[in-house]
Amino acid sequence: MTEADAHMDFDLELEPEDIGETPPETPIGDPCLVVDDLHVVYRVIGGRAKKEAAKGANVREVEVKQSFFRRLISSSRQHVGAVSEVHAVRGISFTVRHGESVGIVGVNGSGKSTLLRAIAGLMPPKSGSVHVSGEPSLLGVNAALMPQLTGERNIMIGGLALGLTPKQVEERFDDVVEFAGIGDFVYLPMKTYSSGMGARLRFAISSAASPDILMIDEALATGDAAFKARSKARIEEVRENAGTVFLVSHSISTIEAMCTRTLWVHEGKLVMDGPTMEVAERYKEFVRAQRPQGRKGGRRPGNRNGNGNGKGAARKVDA
Amino acid sequence: MSTPTTDAAAAGVRPSRGGAPKPPPPLVPETTSAERAALAEQYGLRRLNVRPPLREYIRDLAGRWNFIRVLATSTAYAKNQSNYLGQLWAVLNPILNAAVYVLIFGVLLGVNRHVENSIAFIVIGVFIFRFIESSVTGGAKSISGKTQLLRSLHFPRAVLPMSTVLSLLATLVPALAVMCVIVLLSGLIPGYQMMTITWWWLLLPAAVTLLWIFNTGLAFFMARIVATTPDLDNIIGFVMRVVMYGSGVIFPLAGYIERMGISEGAKVVLGGILEYQPVAVYLYLVRSCLTQEPSIPQSGLMWALGAAWAVVIFVIGFVVFWRGEERYGRD
Repeated sequence: MTEADAHMDFDLELEPEDIGETPPETPIGDPCLVVDDLHVVYRVIGGRAKKEAAKGANVREVEVKQSFFRRLISSSRQHVGAVSEVHAVRGISFTVRHGESVGIVGVNGSGKSTLLRAIAGLMPPKSGSVHVSGEPSLLGVNAALMPQLTGERNIMIGGLALGLTPKQVEERFDDVVEFAGIGDFVYLPMKTYSSGMGARLRFAISSAASPDILMIDEALATGDAAFKARSKARIEEVRENAGTVFLVSHSISTIEAMCTRTLWVHEGKLVMDGPTMEVAERYKEFVRAQRPQGRKGGRRPGNRNGNGNGKGAARKVDA
Repeated sequence: MSTPTTDAAAAGVRPSRGGAPKPPPPLVPETTSAERAALAEQYGLRRLNVRPPLREYIRDLAGRWNFIRVLATSTAYAKNQSNYLGQLWAVLNPILNAAVYVLIFGVLLGVNRHVENSIAFIVIGVFIFRFIESSVTGGAKSISGKTQLLRSLHFPRAVLPMSTVLSLLATLVPALAVMCVIVLLSGLIPGYQMMTITWWWLLLPAAVTLLWIFNTGLAFFMARIVATTPDLDNIIGFVMRVVMYGSGVIFPLAGYIERMGISEGAKVVLGGILEYQPVAVYLYLVRSCLTQEPSIPQSGLMWALGAAWAVVIFVIGFVVFWRGEERYGRD
């Protein structure tokens, strides 16, 4: 997957409207998700890791028994029978309780999204296990429904896939459209939507089924300020109903605003787990230190509020 | 709280300034694997990514019938929606297809000396075979081509091959109407056997239903093997072409076997295989319903075989597919 080509892009992204916000307290209940020594390995056909990169890196060649046939074609192995493995998540364990909202941070390619998919039960792990109560629901920016179909059909398909009945979907249809704020575009094919509209509709669908565990992968980065406020309210609603929220975001300020607890994933391993305040502090320190000399000391982004026509796309803070 | 939940961050040392900044070392969990498993059990948590028992899987799948139906009809509808003529193509496409085959094989090559009405023979053969062929190719892509969907939403994966075939059935229905009209009209051409609507026409839905069940089984099977070994997708086209010529889609095979230079015993075996293999059986059933070909009378044996093939292939395909359930979406 693209997450795996770990090009080191250390940028701290701050969302101006999130700064200074903190998530409200919710009572914490019994454990609802137990992750035990989780390993996720992608099999990638059609690409081969270079031998040098294989040492200790996330990507390594699959060791295939060297049959005669293999040796015969070994000279063209980059092109024939190229299979690599990407070890994206390497042994992560943690426990989450009802009512917690958990942020996952990490640099690009650290395995955040893969971890989220695995604990949603969508990426079969190589070893280890995930135990949940209830049904997890994940929709991220990449979650493709059916782009050639109208938003209306997609709401029906998404709702049915999440286990609702056609009647329930029809009942919630107006809510979903209103929440996504796409108006009459709902009757046009989804491929004609802007990325923000698509992401908003997907988020609206995924949260319509009032899931026990809501998982959000970068979906909030594409929404505008009003949509963010609505989704924040929806997240709080899920938590109040003793649900659990997971949030993967590049924007550390979004996580600070919405999560009580944060997991820091680095190179597929869990390196820090604790209250958001503490983890965010250390993470920011780490990211700042990664920057080239002379770019230290990020500026507060408050004075950049004017541009962007309120689209609120993720803005980078570079001094 | 009696049970430890947060595998709390070790109050680690701050990263040293000056050298390359490093993240904290990986956490060592406070609990052991066994303790976590016990915790999960204590609170009645369900393990993800394990294949559900067959009975439960079937029940879950049956509960998703609406999902299968909506997905199928929506895909069938969307296929033609990006054209100016829109849904008209659902009828135009089969007409053009039939025209090409009738022109090449019926008129130019004249391969059908053994049947009374070669147009009806070819049109039925081509339409029914296309349903089988597209079920195989569509089933093969139903898992491997939908990785994004698999990694986004949770549902029994058998929904995908089933809805693929159901969507093909939805596109087949207008094609069947076209087919019936062509069959009737072909009887009006001088030199071709006259076609009449008989009571047997009422059995057409039954034959198509059996074929639909059979195709769904095939799609299950193809979905599993192509999801595991994508290379096989490249071979399907060739295999299906062999099946096409080996099933009497365009011309009856009986005469060709007679003329082959092999022993009588071999002719019987080969003829039996070619006659009773599923594709040939379903072509026979549909033809026996719609035409009055003397060489294709109604046959109870063929109906029994059609039902048997449908059940056997469906059950085998479903079990094969179910056994891979927890792996789909990983590669």
